[in-house]
Amino acid sequence: MASELRVNTLKDASGNNSIATSFVAGGSAKCWAITDNGAAAPDSLNLTNIVDNGTGDFTFNIATDFGSVNYSHPIVPADNDGGGGQDITVTSKAAGSIRIGTIRDDSNKFDNAHFLSVSMFGDLA
Amino acid sequence: MASILKVDTLTGVTTAGSISVTGEGNSTTTNLQQGLAKAWVNYNHTAPSVRESFNVSSTTDVSAGIATISWSSNFSNATYSPVIMADADPSSHYAFPSTRATLSGANAVFTTSAHQFCTHNLGATVIDAFYITGQYLGDLA
Repeated sequence: MASELRVNTLKDASGNNSIATSFVAGGSAKCWAITDNGAAAPDSLNLTNIVDNGTGDFTFNIATDFGSVNYSHPIVPADNDGGGGQDITVTSKAAGSIRIGTIRDDSNKFDNAHFLSVSMFGDLA
Repeated sequence: MASILKVDTLTGVTTAGSISVTGEGNSTTTNLQQGLAKAWVNYNHTAPSVRESFNVSSTTDVSAGIATISWSSNFSNATYSPVIMADADPSSHYAFPSTRATLSGANAVFTTSAHQFCTHNLGATVIDAFYITGQYLGDLA
């Protein structure tokens, strides 16, 4: 049977380790994904798809949008086939999508990245 | 009315591992279990030592700039999403994290029980980082 619980604070059964439910909702990642050298996401949360716009240029489309564009989006820098470092740039951002470019350190050109890992924190719509 | 729930374990009714939480905008829901970081660590690779962690059983200093973090409770698959930042000792200038196992390696080492990664400097030489902070999102076993 489905049920709904409305509560402000969670504690363990001993009454310790209190946490407000606002931290549970606000502190949870609302979207995350990992992709390897392409637009496929073998695992993700709240992701519609990843669009391959070209080499090193991907758009992550979010299934349930954020309430604004002011969400936080830590992205782990990844590496390329040549073994060098990659830089990350966000080229556009909306409540329902984020477009990310990965750039080789040694050439300053867009290049696909190994294990591009993205997570997003913020308020849902 | 303010309320406090005292409980040790939260479990979904329809599906034990799935609880919905209403989003901040009051119109959508997000999945509680999937949105939680399943592990995090603040690791000093130069020592090496773990400053603080969650769901980390051990760390292994593989070699210069290469470390392995092992989980207490394993992930259900090796496709979890890591977010790692690294910072070298101020005298050493920069350190950058990579999710690959070695800077020149062909394959990253993601397993359900551990993640091996490397840190490197601007010259693409692997170096131990003073601060490595990582958070891991994914599905637990």
